Amino acid sequence: MSHPLEITNLVKRFGGLTATDDVSFHIEQGQSVGLIGPNGAGKTTIFSQIMGELRQNSGTIRLYGEDIGDLSTPARIRRGVSRTYQVPRPFGDMSVVENIRVGLMPDSIWKMITQGPDRDREIELALSVGFSENDLNRRPDELSMGDLRKLEMARTMATGPSVMLLDEVFAGLTKGEISQIGELIQQMRRDGMTFLIVSHDLGALEPLIDRAIAINYGSKIAEGAYADVISDPNVRSSYLGVA
Amino acid sequence: MGLRWYHFAMWAGFIALMYAMPELVSKGTLRTFIFANFLAVFAISWDVLSGRTGYISFGHPFLIGIGAYTTAILTKRFDVAIEISIPIAVVVTMIASTLFILPALRIRGSYFALVTLAFMELIYQLVQVIRPDLTGGTRGMSGIQTLTRGAVNGYYMSLSLMLAVAISMWLLMRTRVGTALSAIGMSEDSVLGSGLSTTRLKLFAFLTGAFVAGLGGAFYVHYLGSIAPRALFDINFVFTIIVAALIGGSSTIIGPMVGAFFLTYLLEYLRPYLPGAERYFIYGGIALLLYMYQPKGIYHIVMQAWERFKPGKSA
Amino acid sequence: MTQIIIQGLLLSGLYALIAMGFTLIFSIGRVLNLAYGAYLLIGGYVYFYFAQMMGMPKLVGVLLAVIVGAAMGLAKYRMIVKPLKGDHVAIEISTLILAIVLQSGVILAFGDSSKILLPIIPGVERLAGATIPYSNLLAAIVSWAILISLYFFVNKTHTGRAMQAVSMDAKGAAISGIDSDRINMITWGISGALGALAGVFFASYTQLTPSMWVAPLIISVAIVIVGGIGSIIGTLIVAHIIGFMEIIVTAMIAPELRGVFTMVLIIGVLVIRPQGLFGREEL
Repeated sequence: MSHPLEITNLVKRFGGLTATDDVSFHIEQGQSVGLIGPNGAGKTTIFSQIMGELRQNSGTIRLYGEDIGDLSTPARIRRGVSRTYQVPRPFGDMSVVENIRVGLMPDSIWKMITQGPDRDREIELALSVGFSENDLNRRPDELSMGDLRKLEMARTMATGPSVMLLDEVFAGLTKGEISQIGELIQQMRRDGMTFLIVSHDLGALEPLIDRAIAINYGSKIAEGAYADVISDPNVRSSYLGVA
Repeated sequence: MGLRWYHFAMWAGFIALMYAMPELVSKGTLRTFIFANFLAVFAISWDVLSGRTGYISFGHPFLIGIGAYTTAILTKRFDVAIEISIPIAVVVTMIASTLFILPALRIRGSYFALVTLAFMELIYQLVQVIRPDLTGGTRGMSGIQTLTRGAVNGYYMSLSLMLAVAISMWLLMRTRVGTALSAIGMSEDSVLGSGLSTTRLKLFAFLTGAFVAGLGGAFYVHYLGSIAPRALFDINFVFTIIVAALIGGSSTIIGPMVGAFFLTYLLEYLRPYLPGAERYFIYGGIALLLYMYQPKGIYHIVMQAWERFKPGKSA
Repeated sequence: MTQIIIQGLLLSGLYALIAMGFTLIFSIGRVLNLAYGAYLLIGGYVYFYFAQMMGMPKLVGVLLAVIVGAAMGLAKYRMIVKPLKGDHVAIEISTLILAIVLQSGVILAFGDSSKILLPIIPGVERLAGATIPYSNLLAAIVSWAILISLYFFVNKTHTGRAMQAVSMDAKGAAISGIDSDRINMITWGISGALGALAGVFFASYTQLTPSMWVAPLIISVAIVIVGGIGSIIGTLIVAHIIGFMEIIVTAMIAPELRGVFTMVLIIGVLVIRPQGLFGREEL
């Protein structure tokens, strides 16, 4: 039985610094896993390696059993894994729907030319992350941080992933927006999406995950039920910054 | 593609006006129009390649020149018929444009602009040195077969070419591929993160831009009947093309056309006062001010004004 | 052989001087200043106007050229680069337009034809069959002197180190209390002064024409790209590679091919090793 996402002995070095130090874990179908750890622990570096934006020095990354460790980013996205970024990077001169349109495009120039955009799906995605009808033609410079994160979510969902990596989706959001995005994630979990979520907002994260993995200095230090991980002495000390 | 009745109406009106032009203006003005038509073709080509993707080419005459030289050499030295030599020239230009993709795979921004500038200087020097018996060396070539005689025919030919290019690029860029190319210019990483192969999209932009540049270059040389390396591979020429695209409005098709006509007219208007190259002083000054005021160009200024004064719109 | 070595050294020294002002701006602001060539143009013509047309002492001519160059650098930073706030595409394009405007301004003022600059020091030295104009020798000596002092300025003085800090990490430098605006002003001023000075020497090496800015711009670009960004030593080494390559090609293969190899070198290095031969890996 192959898992949606399985990482084995992943190592990434930057010069003398080991940013990912022999990390292994897997996520089961339909599970949602929280990836926690202090700033600079190497959470985003793991995301970048899963997506192929960074190349691991060694170790394997499997998606539904297939080794994707040598594929390009678009090829990985086609196979069903997609991520959001800590700092949203929208297309500045495009409206909300146009931003989503890019996410929906097939990776085929011929199809881009011959097939028109799927406007219903664009609007559906925009509304599903909590945009209102009035927002559809807004441009990123008119949007709040919360809206930018929603847009980032929608564009990522548009690529049709079966595994989603969410990087700090709650940062900079208002309480209302957090519960909106939280509700969206819950809905997607019920629909069978597999998640790996990084968040500093542990309160918002807890109800969204089945279990948690804690890392510090690039190594996995704890894994298990959220309550167990968060009360683990190693995890506590890593957050407090004492060895 | 979301075509509306007013799109057809605007194009039809524009085409009718342009074809009626020889009845309305003098032969001298018509010659200015011919240059503006070609400049519009080159500016559209530059905009497809650079304006959208943000991969600024300072070596666009490299592509235009390859198209022009290929057909000039084929027709003059090897007696190939124009109907055959022009398609060959276009294909050769497209192949040459794949040289651009090599640096574009690894470098971004300023570096890319520099390599394209180096490409232009390279071909300028090579043309003069390698097989001058074919290229005509430093002096270039003259007596190249022309497609038309007289200003009126030349005008119709250049206008038809310009309209064909403008309409087909307009249609192409209205599809999702146009959106994707513009997206590269805004955030290449996010395009990659949307699961699209940016390499393939860039290659497509370069090949399309080169197709238009090669076509424009080939027709231009068969209009002029001569070719001179110093005038072709010239930084002033680069400047005129880029400024036409940007002043008019990048990432649009109408923009480069507006820019080409605006600039050509500005140059003509200045001719009585400043007959030589010093015209570029005022010309460039106006371009610089316009560009600093609104980098998105005249098209954008007009659209903003239109949004503001549109009847029935509150706020 | 001696001839090649001497000519190569002289040309390389000149090239290093030309490229130095360009590399400064490129490393500090990551800004491609396409109007850099225009400093050389203006420097050459200012010198020509004061020293040759007005008959002022040559040293005064050189000094005025340097002052005008520095003023241009400052003006350009204030009026173009700063308002555009790091939009690289916009800066590249507006500096290109500016260069064209300045070129036509020169044509408007001095006409289209080329001018011969009288050598700063007349006379030649003969050495082992090679003829060395004193002017070229002076250019090489001055450029070496400037390179060495620039090296010490950047590495040893407070301002120089602040420049390095800004070039590595503008935000970090700002946090450490460095006034990056002031540093930028200084850099643009120095760059303009160096460009204008290089222009005087370059014009006396070749001739004074309104289009004389393109070739040195491309040479600067080549040197900076091949040498790597922000590396004074790299700039120096590559200036010599390119200078000697040009002299050797001219002497042994064909003078017309002189520039071809430079272009091939730029394109090759950019494709194979985009960070340059000696530079930081950062694009």
